[in-house]
Amino acid sequence: MRLGPQPRELIDRSQRVLFTFDGRAAGGYTGDTIGSALYASGQRVFSRSFKYHRPRGLLCCSGHCPNCLMTVDSVPNVRVCVEPIRAGAVVEPQNVWGSLDRDALAVTDKIGGPFTPVGFYYRTMIRPRFMWPLYEKVLRNLAGLGKVDERHHGHSRYDVEHRRARVLVVGGGQSGRAAALAAATRGPGVVLVDEGMRLRGAELEGVEVLAPARALGIWEGGLVPVDAGGVLYRFRAERIVVATGALEQPLVFPGNDLVGVMLPDGVRRLIRDFAIRPASRAVVLASDDDALEVADELREAGVAVPRVVDLRTAPLGRIEAKGRRGRVSAAVLDGRAVECDLVVASAGRQPSYSLLAQAGARVEYEPSRGIFVPAELPAGFEALGAVTGEGCATVHPLRSSGARNGDKSFVCVCEDVTTKDVDRAIAEGFDSIELSKRYTTVTMGPCQGKLCQLASIRLYARTTGVSEATVGTTTARPPWAPVELGLLAGPHHEPARRSSIHFRHEEAGATIQWAGPWKRPYAYGEHPEDEVRAVHESLGVIDVSTLGKILVEGPQAVELLERLYPNRFGDMKPGRIRYGVITSDGGRIMDDGTIARLADDLFYVTTTSTGADAVTAWFEWWNAVWGYDAEIVNVTGALAAVNLAGPRAREALSRLVDDPDDVAGDAFRYLDAKELDVAGVPCLALRIGFVGELGYELHFASPAGEHLWDRLVAEGAWPFGLEPQRVLRLEKAHIIVGQDTDSESNLLSAGMSWLPKLEKDDFVGKLAVEHVARREEVERLVGFTMEEDVVPAEGAQVVIEGRPGGRVTSARRSEAVGAVIGLAWLPPERCEDGTRFEIRVDRRTVGARVRHGAFYDASGARMRA
Amino acid sequence: MTELRFLSPSQCAEGSTASPLRRALDGAPEQVRDLSLQGVLELRGDIARVEAGEGEELVRLSPRRGFLFTPGDPFEAVARVRAAGVLAYDSTGALAGLALEGEQLMRRLTDLELTKLPAAGPFARVSALVLRDEGERFRVYVPQELGHDVALAVLDALAGLELAP
Amino acid sequence: MSFLLPCPHCGPRPVDEYACFGEVTTRPAGESPSLRDLTEYVYFRDNVAGVQREWWQHRDGCGEWFLAERDTRTNEVLSISEPEPAPPV
Repeated sequence: MRLGPQPRELIDRSQRVLFTFDGRAAGGYTGDTIGSALYASGQRVFSRSFKYHRPRGLLCCSGHCPNCLMTVDSVPNVRVCVEPIRAGAVVEPQNVWGSLDRDALAVTDKIGGPFTPVGFYYRTMIRPRFMWPLYEKVLRNLAGLGKVDERHHGHSRYDVEHRRARVLVVGGGQSGRAAALAAATRGPGVVLVDEGMRLRGAELEGVEVLAPARALGIWEGGLVPVDAGGVLYRFRAERIVVATGALEQPLVFPGNDLVGVMLPDGVRRLIRDFAIRPASRAVVLASDDDALEVADELREAGVAVPRVVDLRTAPLGRIEAKGRRGRVSAAVLDGRAVECDLVVASAGRQPSYSLLAQAGARVEYEPSRGIFVPAELPAGFEALGAVTGEGCATVHPLRSSGARNGDKSFVCVCEDVTTKDVDRAIAEGFDSIELSKRYTTVTMGPCQGKLCQLASIRLYARTTGVSEATVGTTTARPPWAPVELGLLAGPHHEPARRSSIHFRHEEAGATIQWAGPWKRPYAYGEHPEDEVRAVHESLGVIDVSTLGKILVEGPQAVELLERLYPNRFGDMKPGRIRYGVITSDGGRIMDDGTIARLADDLFYVTTTSTGADAVTAWFEWWNAVWGYDAEIVNVTGALAAVNLAGPRAREALSRLVDDPDDVAGDAFRYLDAKELDVAGVPCLALRIGFVGELGYELHFASPAGEHLWDRLVAEGAWPFGLEPQRVLRLEKAHIIVGQDTDSESNLLSAGMSWLPKLEKDDFVGKLAVEHVARREEVERLVGFTMEEDVVPAEGAQVVIEGRPGGRVTSARRSEAVGAVIGLAWLPPERCEDGTRFEIRVDRRTVGARVRHGAFYDASGARMRA
Repeated sequence: MTELRFLSPSQCAEGSTASPLRRALDGAPEQVRDLSLQGVLELRGDIARVEAGEGEELVRLSPRRGFLFTPGDPFEAVARVRAAGVLAYDSTGALAGLALEGEQLMRRLTDLELTKLPAAGPFARVSALVLRDEGERFRVYVPQELGHDVALAVLDALAGLELAP
Repeated sequence: MSFLLPCPHCGPRPVDEYACFGEVTTRPAGESPSLRDLTEYVYFRDNVAGVQREWWQHRDGCGEWFLAERDTRTNEVLSISEPEPAPPV
């Protein structure tokens, strides 16, 4: 089927390339596309249509239409007409039940009528409701194009490259190339993007040529992502020249989707680029000079052309394509049948203005030429060549067969929308083009309106009796060209925060989990309770580098903090620590932590592990409003931190400091902050008791993380993870903000009425607390112990007299307490110590009793030891 | 009065500190070098009052925020800058640093304009400080806790450009 | 969203480098406001289709806070300014 050498052919006949198609061996030449190679080997049916499973063949042969979508090397929806051939590729047809030639679902085309009209499933499948899951399952299989192979990861990699250009030219036709060359004479930074194969490797002086590559759209801020196959170039350009040319528009007539009905450009490509004789007998229905030339090229290629019609001068009223087994066998022109195996038909050319419209250009209709043209370009944009309407015109694309029971006329081959469907939508009252689009899905398929928007607008205008200008176009939105989602996602990088001690935990075999933006050890062994026991009975150490750490420094540091927190800080002596809670002006508890005063004008603030960034931003924002003379510096990453806790903590620490007296009980009291060198590392040591035993939080320069950790472990400290810490803190009834509290909680309901200093003039959240104090209490956070040895889920329902009455926020089994303990929100009248209530656990209810105060070491003697 | 010694790796005993990138960059190609633990200060206040000393480099992000890279002991530099009336914090331990070569490699990792450096902005999906040296040589500083993954992203980008295995 | 937002210190940068803290609001001053006024301030926003003043932070850049007048329909930024703080006396 190949012709003799053509003057501009792209193939290299000396290099055969083999691949497999549908399980069989197939081949072509270097320079072929997969589509051209298949066509040359006699393949005519390339796909089955979206809804009716009608056979479809090459139509545009330019990468616009959906007709040649196949799965190549497990990547679905590849347009094989523009996909370069490659050795060993595995090419599979898709959307087929059976084979391309005999597709079981083609029956939908025959029975058609009642089952597949527009809006079919919106209307039909809504009742009965219980059937929907089944409907959905079946529809999922029937609808859509291609399948994702979950075992395969597509391209081995996707990269993103951030690019800048002085001038970015989209479209490498004559005008695009001329514009690029002209721009290049005025300086560097000129880039030309073209989607075709012809400019691959082309050299234009002073111009960087990207081809084949597709500009996916124009986003806000002039962002133009360009798909260059495996690499996404994100271009920002000072000036964007759009020279995207014009697109041939299909004629709409009965049988216009039969295999063998093609657009002139597609036919020309097969002959010129790939030296293929496309058919043996062709009928040409031309609406411009280009299409007439194709008739000559066909003859030169040895194709009989029994009939050429110039629709501009000899407008045919009625056209129909007749087919056998889905392939065209004759064209019936005003009632006269002409036998043929190819119908070359177009309605003319419509400017390809979508990119300009995305950028904000207005688009207007020119009735004399039957086309939409871009008008009023936004600043920084230029349009050149056919996209401006130059040399473009279309005839009315709609033709009927005149026969009563003619074949379907497709307005949109992507979504299988016929003229009847559009008429029906209009009759049902979808009286704007935007609504009709959503109902019929015309222009919403893979071609994104390239081949169907004009026809649908003109059909709409004709049926409703208004002008095309009044109908208008639908909003143009990116992407303009199809793109793999993987390319948009970019490289598989999801940066995790790791403490400087992290790899010691991995080496120790810890189970690592995400904790907000951090990777943290859940526990070091199979039994977190062993780690809890070590802390209670001997000595444990946990990596708490993830705690947010903020320095607040300046002459007005006290004023700033006293306004950010409900607490007082002015009365604190340097070297002391206070627990603080941050609330919003709505009264919501946002974060909690400790505040250590290091000097008169310097405070060291810790936040929760997930709160560092948000709290820093919160502090900075308020200070941008108030302007206190104080700086807020986030030192979270600069410092590692560990909590050394357990009855042996002081003894272990005393062996690592220069002078053991520095850590003696009265020299380093509970809630003292002190600078100490530990194992040669300067630390800020905070004596606090989150886990309920004697404990020291050591904060020190991150690079010394592993060194100090190793020394503490060598002193006999057991590493413990997040899960044991959760048990330990629950034994002390210490809350976790965001787990035990939510957006409805406030200081009073969470049991911290002692904390806000309402006598202060102002603090963030004061107004809300005052209102809450006047309001009737709704619920309260309290501790409880279970009557049985079962652990309710977090979020489990509290049941009071058979009705929902609250919820559990935390629950764990505690060896030290000898019971399952937890925290729950209860109605205030049920919060007396010892009050019994029930919790739903696995379809039954289990009794629990309110317990006030800490479950473990209620007096706090152990942590104050 | 505290001197914030606990912020300074240079005040730690010899041999007790290590780079956050040493695992990720173990066996890395020579286009990538580890600059972590090079002295750097975070500055707050009237930056105009800070004078860069011999071999030092002042990066001004705004009139009130900046960084000072110093070849000397950053702990001493903190004292010097504070004496000039500007708040300074030793952030040597806060940042992981990478020396990189190649404009295309940089474009794979950052949207920043490579002709308008130094600047602060995103790099490999994290906030970074990016500086340019002679030719196509760059220095990138990121939060140390993200350094491991950023270094892996750099190596991956090199592999994508077939500049590294 | 991919529009460019000018930072007073770093120049125009893609909007995803910034954190937006929303409309500029007025915090009730003086004596305790009514519950209605408090609720209005905490929860209600004008959400105009048009130009509004907003708080922005150049989170991935210099880190500074500033104010921008932005047209919410077009994302055009009409002006930016540095905050003029008003500490209480």
